[in-house]
Amino acid sequence: MSEKKKQVSRRQFLNYTLTGVGGFMAAGMLAPMVRFAIDPVLQTRERGGFSAVVDVDELTNEPQRFDWQIDQVDAWYESKVTRSAWVYKKEDGTIMALSPICTHLGCVVSWQGNDDYPDQFYCPCHGGRYTKEGVNIPNTPPPAPLALYEQKEEEGTLFLGKAIPREGA
Amino acid sequence: MQMNRKDLEQFIEAKEYVDTLLIPLSPVSINGDEQGKKVVFQGELLQIFCNEIEKYYTGRIFLFPPYYYLVNGSYQNEVERLNKWVGAAKEHPFEHVFFLTFDHFWKKQEKNIDGHLLWFPTMTSGDLHSKENQSLIKEQIEQIKQLITSYW
Repeated sequence: MSEKKKQVSRRQFLNYTLTGVGGFMAAGMLAPMVRFAIDPVLQTRERGGFSAVVDVDELTNEPQRFDWQIDQVDAWYESKVTRSAWVYKKEDGTIMALSPICTHLGCVVSWQGNDDYPDQFYCPCHGGRYTKEGVNIPNTPPPAPLALYEQKEEEGTLFLGKAIPREGA
Repeated sequence: MQMNRKDLEQFIEAKEYVDTLLIPLSPVSINGDEQGKKVVFQGELLQIFCNEIEKYYTGRIFLFPPYYYLVNGSYQNEVERLNKWVGAAKEHPFEHVFFLTFDHFWKKQEKNIDGHLLWFPTMTSGDLHSKENQSLIKEQIEQIKQLITSYW
């Protein structure tokens, strides 16, 4: 009665088995390799508290303002917060990334914010002023220089981290 | 500065530097009709405006919590209540008091209000996160900022 049933030959059986098992093994080897290959694409622009801000090529000797967003998580909220920095290249090529928050009472300063003081950061609230290096100018309200952002450069992109306050001048 | 403990402590310490009070006038409605949705949308927008302005001028502007009122309530009482409300805040000598609103009702009551009323027409619906609207809002905020600084 089994005469009519199609028989699987030994050769066929081995072929099927080997293809199946081999296929699994190949997939097991390839999957991590594919993941490695596309990893840079999947990587977020934010790691270790650093965010990609701007291509280094775009920087000039004039401070420019750049904004970026970070995810801020505190006890009650998770929110997107916009950070800003005034960034420029010094003569010797090092990059300065200054926080725009006035050290007096926390307003937002701007480069050349007042026509009377070109080449200075100016705070619109109480007339606080800072040099191009972000150092507060004596006899204006701010008690300390503008904070400096932690920075690192990777593959031509500037990453900025936390703003580190500096001691008063 | 905003109405929270940290800012309040800073405010008491640096009172002589904070001479501007900003109060959002925000109608509320819980009706789901078109008018109600419009009112709520504008309330959201108003908060964005105020927060942005406060962020820029933290050290000089005290942002009061919004003055909420029912959209179909009697407006007559609101003027009186508002003045009382602001009176309490004005015990600290704020030199400039600004009210920000999108509700044209206040425009007609301007002379009865103790402070500068900033009313202007704006969007009544739409996506607050779209690129176009964001740049429009930013532009409007920029202009209000200039207006406020011109009083200083």
